[in-house]
Amino acid sequence: MVEVSLSAFAFLFSELVQYNQTQVDNIAELERRLEDAGYAVGARVLELFCHREKGNRRETRLLGILSFVHTTVWKVLFGKVADSLEKGTEHEDEYMISEKELLVNRFISIPKDMGTFNCGAFVAGIVRGVLDNAGFPSVVTAHFVPMEGQQRPRTTILIKFADEVSHMMSLLNIY
Amino acid sequence: MATVYNLFIINKSGGLIFYKDYGSAERMDTNDSLRLASLWHSMHAISQQLSPTIGCFGIELLQADNFDLHCFQSLTGTKFFVVCEPGAQHMEGLLKVIYELYTDFVLKNPFYEMEMPIRCELFDLHLSQAVQKERVFILGR
Amino acid sequence: MAPVIPRSGDAAFANVERVNAELFTLTYGAIVRQLLTDLEEVEEVNKQLDQMGYNIGVRLIDEFLAKSNISRCVDFKETAEVIAKVGFKMFLGVTATVTNWDAEGTSCSLVLSENPLVGFVELPDTCHGLYYCNILCGVIRGALEMVSMKTEVTWVRDMLHGDDAYEMRVKLIKQVPEEYPYKDDE
Repeated sequence: MVEVSLSAFAFLFSELVQYNQTQVDNIAELERRLEDAGYAVGARVLELFCHREKGNRRETRLLGILSFVHTTVWKVLFGKVADSLEKGTEHEDEYMISEKELLVNRFISIPKDMGTFNCGAFVAGIVRGVLDNAGFPSVVTAHFVPMEGQQRPRTTILIKFADEVSHMMSLLNIY
Repeated sequence: MATVYNLFIINKSGGLIFYKDYGSAERMDTNDSLRLASLWHSMHAISQQLSPTIGCFGIELLQADNFDLHCFQSLTGTKFFVVCEPGAQHMEGLLKVIYELYTDFVLKNPFYEMEMPIRCELFDLHLSQAVQKERVFILGR
Repeated sequence: MAPVIPRSGDAAFANVERVNAELFTLTYGAIVRQLLTDLEEVEEVNKQLDQMGYNIGVRLIDEFLAKSNISRCVDFKETAEVIAKVGFKMFLGVTATVTNWDAEGTSCSLVLSENPLVGFVELPDTCHGLYYCNILCGVIRGALEMVSMKTEVTWVRDMLHGDDAYEMRVKLIKQVPEEYPYKDDE
């Protein structure tokens, strides 16, 4: 596997965030733009993976695609499987991928005046890019979640599938 | 036990961009720390001019009766210095660790503006760990 | 005695934490795509990429100095070698070759063996004139400026434009002496 230093990536990512800060008026827009940048990465990752694994059938099951994101995509991009993949407790159509420390957040401290902003929006975009292009449109967001006994909050990527996906799945009863 | 009293970081124009107290006998107020930083910046520069040897890059260690001051200046002009108990060891190593933490948790933070005061939670966190480790290391000898 | 300058960044690269180059390549691709959408004009995109590189360079230089054990270089020639052999290796895992020095020893070419920025890239016709990797020029310019060297860095050959290599020209404009912070009359 070809590698670059984590620092090279971190400086590039930091500059991506800084550039986008100059293009927006508020934090919601910044989140959206980082998510858009991530979306492009996610779409490409799926494309590359399908290209490499030619012959493999395309993932059509919801849990299949989620585990693909949690395992394969995470491994390729971040060098490890995500810490956890859970089903939302409140809603049927919600799933959560959590990471104690998201790679993109490794060196980043969010200023107090930015509230709950999380640069993981970029990763949320990656996830949405993969899911959308695999035929599972969804809304994906990144959140800091405080952990008991931990100094730092973890990041949870919240995936809410579009109504049509939930509808289709319930019809087929193949959750 | 070797004690680090406080840590200063000065940008290349002599402005204090970081100050942390690790338990000095008398806490310094903001004005004092700013004054001390700019004074040290000048003294450091003057020492280069006064030095009889060619290629001197300024004072690295200042020893007084009741404290030592260790200074490290990066090639880019940022100065890091710790004030510590007289005779405290390994301060050069500590300054190197601090410089590395600065490159990680300050310079790679998109919300940090160059040359401005450092307010980065992760930097504080790793810094206290490093200073703490220094203490543990010395205790363990 | 002057400290020994490492001849290669192999050790530095082996010691740092690394990530899959694809994450880096794809993220860079997403940045270029954003700029093309935001700025429309290819010339503007080139400028912005150079600016972003500069912003990275002025920060990255400290990491380079902190983690490579490099200290002062004696001259521009040595600086160029250090960038090519240690700098590129430490961050991107590749090396460059320094060639084509001019008679004054103030400008040279860096030829890249491999270029991790360009994986999966083919320039569409609409991007004629885009220096896709212009960020690298900015990084070198920014980093050197922080150690008192004003430079101009431009692409000479670009494989995305059909050339046979990636070649940057680095020209030393002026070496700013280290400043004594006070003028005599102050």
